[in-house]
This record gives sequence, C-alpha cells and structure tokens, in this order.
Amino acid sequence: MSRVSEGSTIHAVNFSIGKTKEKLENLQLQGSNLKRVQKPSDDPVGNMEILSIRSRKIDGNQYKRNASVAKAQLSFTENAIEELTDIMVKAKELTISQSSNIFDPAIRQSVAKEVAQLHNQAISIGNRRLGNKYIFGGHKTLTKPFSDEGKYLGDSKQTKVEIGKDIFVPITFDGNSIFFEKNGTAMKSESPLKNSPFENIDKQFKTKREAPQFEEIIPDNNSELDINRIPANDPAAPKSLAEEARSSIFTNLKTLENALITDNHEIIQDLLPGLDDNIDRLVQARTSLGSTMNKIDYSVSAIEKNDIINEEYKSKIEDADVAELFTDLSRQQNVLNATYKSSAQLMNNNLMKYIN
Amino acid sequence: MGADLFSIGRSSLRTSKKSLATTSHNIANANTEGFSRQVVTAETSTPIQSGNNVYGTGVNVKSVKRVHDKLIEQKLNHSTSNHSYDEQRTDQLSNVEQIFNEINSDGMNKIMNRFFNSFRELSNQPENEVVRNLVRDNAHIVTKDFKRISNEIVQAKNRIDSQLKGSVDDINSLSQTISELNVEIIRLENIGGEAGDLRDKRDSAIKTIAEFMPITAYEDGNSQYVVNIVGGGSLVAGGIVNKLAVRETATDEVGSYKGEARVEIGFAANASSNLSESIKGGTIGALTQTRNNEIQDLRLQLDEMAHGLVHVTNAIHRRGYVNKEIPVDAQGNIINDPRNGKITGINFFKEPIDLTQAAEKIELSDEISSDLNNIATGLSPNSPGDNRIAIAISKIQHEKILGDGSNTFEEAYLQSVGSIGISTGKSKVNEEQSKGILAQAKSIKERISGVSLDEEATNMIKYQQSYEASAKMIRVADEMFDSVLQMLR
Repeated sequence: MSRVSEGSTIHAVNFSIGKTKEKLENLQLQGSNLKRVQKPSDDPVGNMEILSIRSRKIDGNQYKRNASVAKAQLSFTENAIEELTDIMVKAKELTISQSSNIFDPAIRQSVAKEVAQLHNQAISIGNRRLGNKYIFGGHKTLTKPFSDEGKYLGDSKQTKVEIGKDIFVPITFDGNSIFFEKNGTAMKSESPLKNSPFENIDKQFKTKREAPQFEEIIPDNNSELDINRIPANDPAAPKSLAEEARSSIFTNLKTLENALITDNHEIIQDLLPGLDDNIDRLVQARTSLGSTMNKIDYSVSAIEKNDIINEEYKSKIEDADVAELFTDLSRQQNVLNATYKSSAQLMNNNLMKYIN
Repeated sequence: MGADLFSIGRSSLRTSKKSLATTSHNIANANTEGFSRQVVTAETSTPIQSGNNVYGTGVNVKSVKRVHDKLIEQKLNHSTSNHSYDEQRTDQLSNVEQIFNEINSDGMNKIMNRFFNSFRELSNQPENEVVRNLVRDNAHIVTKDFKRISNEIVQAKNRIDSQLKGSVDDINSLSQTISELNVEIIRLENIGGEAGDLRDKRDSAIKTIAEFMPITAYEDGNSQYVVNIVGGGSLVAGGIVNKLAVRETATDEVGSYKGEARVEIGFAANASSNLSESIKGGTIGALTQTRNNEIQDLRLQLDEMAHGLVHVTNAIHRRGYVNKEIPVDAQGNIINDPRNGKITGINFFKEPIDLTQAAEKIELSDEISSDLNNIATGLSPNSPGDNRIAIAISKIQHEKILGDGSNTFEEAYLQSVGSIGISTGKSKVNEEQSKGILAQAKSIKERISGVSLDEEATNMIKYQQSYEASAKMIRVADEMFDSVLQMLR
C-alpha cells in the first residue's frame, strides 16, 4: 500500500485539472476561429506551406492584374491595327481603281485628297494614346511617336509584363515595326544587359555569394511569345521579306497621293505589292496579337485553377476539422467535470471529520 | 517501588505529550511547501537489575526525525531542473515565435511579397506616379517591418539578460542561506538538538536553485554539506559560498558579421571561468541557450535578408534612369549637367550598409524618399515606357540569392520561421513530458514525506489514549502510595 498524503493528493488533483484545462483551452482557441494552426509551432512545416501558399496567391492576383492590364492594352492596340488595316484596304481599293490610265485627272485630285485624309488618319492612329500613354512609341510612351509627316520619333523597344511566373508577354508594338519595317528584327528587344553581370556589388557581398546575372532576372524574351517569330516561322510568310525595299505605310500613302496628283498611273500600279505587304504585316501583327491574348487567357485560367488547388490544400493544413474539434471539445469538457467531481470527493474527506 | 511507578508514568506522559506535539506540528505544516513529516522515535529506558529481576524504567524520546529519502530528493531536484529548463525554453521560444506569427495577421512574408508585387504593378504602368507612390510605401513598410522584428528580437534578448541577472542574484542569496543553514544545522545537532525543520528549509533552498540550474547536493565524509553545479564547480561547501556572476563576452564574430555579445555565467571570483557550456538545464540553461543560439541565429538571418535585399535591389536600381526628361545632344548622348541632379546610379535603399545590424538600419535612400521620379523603371534614359528595371526588381523575389545562392528571400525567411516553430514545438513536447516526470517525482516525495491527515488523526487518538492511560497509571500509583500511608494510621 502506498502512502497517500495531503500533498500528494493536491499535486495529483492540480496536475490532472491543469492538464485537462490546458487541452480544453487549446481546443477552445481552435474553436474560436476554426483554425488548426494558430502559431508556427502548432505545425512548423504546415505553417511554412500556408505562408508560401498565401504568397503564391498574392503573386497570382498580381499576375492576373498584369494580365488584365496587358489584355486591355492589347485589345486597344488590336483595334488600332484593325482600323489601320481598314485604311490600308481602302487605300488598296483606291489604288486598284486608279491604276488604269483612263481616269479623269479631276477625279484623281479628289481621290488624292481622300488618300491624304487616309494618311492623316494613319498618323493619328500611330499617335493613339491609352490613358496618357502613346501605344506605338516603343519605350517613349509620353512623347508623340509620329511627326505630322510620318517621321518615327519613338524607339523600337517593347514593353513586356509578367503574366505568370517567368511568363512574359509584350504589351506594346513599336511604331517602327507596324508602320515601317518589313522584317521584324526591330521588335526583338535586345537587352543591353544580356550576359553582363551586376556591377558595383561590393566585394564583401560578392564573396559571400554569386550575384545573380541580370539575364537570369529579366529572362530574355520568351521567344515563343515573341510576335516576330510567328511570321518567321510561318511557312506561308514570304521568305524574302527582309531583302525587299523598305516601304512604310506612310511613304506608300504619300507616294500614292503624289502619284494621283501628278496623274502617274505607273507609280500607282507599282504601289500595289507594297500595299499588300503593309496589309499582310498588319494581319500578321493581329494574328500574333490574338495568340498573345490567348496565351494570357490560358495563363490566367491556369492561375485560377492553381488558386483553387492551393486554397483546398491550405484549408487542409490550416483549418480545424469542425466535427472532430467539437467532439473533442465536449469530451474534454466531460473529462474536466469528472475530474472536478472526483477531486472534490478526494479533498473533502478525511478522518478528522469523524472524530468528535 | 511507588516512586518507580511515578517516574515510569512521568516518562510515559512526557513521551505521549511529545508525540502529540509532533502530531500537532505535522498537522500545522500539512500544507507547508517542502515540509517533511516528523516522527518521534521512542525507546525503553535502561532497565534496572535487582537481584534476579529486571525492572523496566519507562520510555524515553530517542529522537524526533523527519521522514526523508535522499535519493528521492535528488531525483526531484533533477526533474525540477529539467522541467524548469523546458518550461523556460518554451516560454522564451513562444515569445520569439510570436514575433514571426503571421497566421492571423500580416507579417514579413506578406510584406516582402507585396513589395515585389508593387514593382510588378509598376512594370504594368511605369509612367504612373500613383504606382510609384505605392512602390515607395510598400518599400517603406518593408523597412519598418525589418526594424520591428529586429527590435522585438533585441527586446527578447534584453529581457533574457535582465532575467539572467536576476536569477544569478537569487542563486547567490540562496547559496548564502544554504551556507548559513549548514553552520546552524551542525551546531544544533552537535548539542543534540532537532534540525529537521532547518534541513527542510535547506532542501527547499536547494530545490529553488535546482530550478535555476542542475545541481547535486550531498554530505561529504566530514559531515560538510556540499552543493555542486553539475559539470561545474562547487557552489556551497559547508560555510563557504562561491558567488556567481553574469558576464558578456566580446562581440560574437562570424566572418565579417559582428553579432551581439554572448552572455556567460561564471564564478564571480574567477573572471575566466565560464559555466555557460556546462549549465545545460534549469532556467539559466534555457535562457543562455535561447539567447546565445536561437536569438543570435535569428538576428543573423534577418540581417542577411535585409542586407541581401538592399544590395541586390540597389545593384539593379542603380542601372536604371530616373523618370525625367534627360537632356541629350545631337548624337543622343546624355549631357551631363550637375544641375539636373543624378540621372542614374541611384540607390533605392540607403548605402552603405553593413551586414551587422542591417535589419535595424535598413532605410530608403534620400533620393527615393525625396522624389518619386527617382524610382527608376527604365534601363535606358528618356524611356518612360521602359519597365525592365521594375521587372528585374520584382524578379528578385524568385531569385536564389540568400544562403550562398540556395534560397530565395521567401525560402530563407520561411526556413527561419520554420526552425523556430520546430524548436518551440519540440520544447513544448519536452515540457509536457518533464512536467509529468516532475509531478511524479513530487508525488513520490509527498507520499514519503508528506503529511497525511488521516494518519495524524489516528496518531492523535493513539497518543491521546496513551497519555490518558499514563495519567491513570500515575493515579493508580498515587492510590497505592495512599494505601501504604493508611496502613500506618
């Protein structure tokens, strides 16, 4: 028989009540916000995963925002190119109708005026703005990319945005490649930082770890999305495009106008292939634009799908199992009540009571 | 003959009374912490031989002893040290853990994430002033959160430091008490006094020290009572006390990183003594370990993050050009005119910054704080639509920059949080376990040394009856004496 003293009884009572209460408190805390993980130590690995999933979620939201900005800008650009195509088709119709030499010079004069109108329209499209940004100016978005004579003042650089981790899409088309150039080389934004390491990172930092290369951080263009690749890879596209003489939309329109004024039908006839080239390129630009938009949609839906999966996974880690929690809670409550009752029995009795 | 009866009765009365007094003392101290119940040991007095007969002469109180088990006391001290170590460590680590808890609130991870995403937003519209503002605000929040965390860590460290100082003071005064008790106990016992209560007091003091650090206590061959620090030296030997002191080492250097000074516990009389490595249990063990390891590590990791962020962001940002019209000559070369201010090479965060205390000192550069247009987005001048710098900075998020190129910022941060979570979780499990063991040890001690009221009630009746019987015996002797006297009448 082991001896039971007042002290050992009290310790036993305290210990068992304390233990039950601690469990109950923990359950109560979980019940108050239905989360299983309250602090890192509740599930260190789970906590890391929760935080990382949250980050992915914020990233995803930003990517979705970027995607919607990209889409807005691209549809705006698409409209502009569409209008431009209409202008060029119109110009082509006029060219065809005026290519014979049987026309009245007076009519040619009025057609010339129409062409001049088209030229001005083309320039105004070239100078079109989304908000305060000129969409065809390359990186020079705040200054007019085209002079009234159709001289290009912008640069041939593309703005790209990230619409999914490491997925970059171009959101601008520089005026040079849409209005001027035949081959798309100008649309490839060559990073001058390519292959060059970060400069000026102080020695101490450098010795500790290799500084990241710039090109690792700005991935060179995601080539499959590069709109220039599309015509180049398209077997239907004329291979000799690059070698052909430079013929811009503006110079073609201007030439047409002048030829109409001077009544030179040969020049008018010669313009037809150039105009066809212009239209072809616009169509190609629209095609690649459309495929970029598809890519964006695809990326957004991938992010959304991931969000759902992540949310589900996060909930599994983070959220308490409600049924289990409340069963545990009421069981723990019963345990506590029982402990109280038995403790009261044990503590309120001793022999002294019975001695008179 | 009659006189014998009287003196036997008297000795019996005395013994019963002493026993009752002891019972009463036990009952009085039933709830006194550290009290050991006392029992009276009685023995028969030396008998007298007369002729062929042996006559008993009654009972004597031989001693009043406390019921006590040395081994169990040792076990209790040991489990006290273990438990208070785990308890203190859990406390401290939970405290640190809370600094990094962002389950129900925003923390560093989210803030860093927003910082990078604001650059991503800026890449959408590099021309937009409002977004630049957002970038700067988010960057500012990042610097503030680095400071918050670093401050809270420093505070945790300072709390530990003052707690350590307080503990050492407590230990020193307890050691003093023990040494005084040692002297007193020997003195009392040499003159045949009862020192049970003093021994209880000493045991209590030792148990309190055991909460601070693991110790062993024993009586050596010369009945000198010795208290030793496990793995250290002697704290008390008889009447001699070796006082402890808290010392700070020189700054802790890891490569070029100058960390906080470490804290050491040593003997006050010997400046070169260092017990920190040997004290592995008790609150002192927990405090020094948490302070010198976890907290120190966290600071280094946080500083590395802040330092890395500043350097990489600046390295990229310096290559960009300000968002302003920059005058160029006919060839397109930039005209350098000091009146235009800096046009490139601008730091985003303030430089120079050392790894040491980087998290505390991280700050936006003056250029960025004063002018939003100094947030560079473009890699070439006069290109408001150029967003390559903004993209590059946003991509730092996914770049393995920390830990010798093995971790992104998020990975490094989450690892720190994860490791503190794991330590805390482990410590909690240990605490639970050691709590159980301590409760068991306490209960064993209480079973042996604790007062049982039932037992005392029985004893009370037993000794009361024995007292009554002795009194009756004396009356019988008195009557016998009377009878003898009446015979003479």
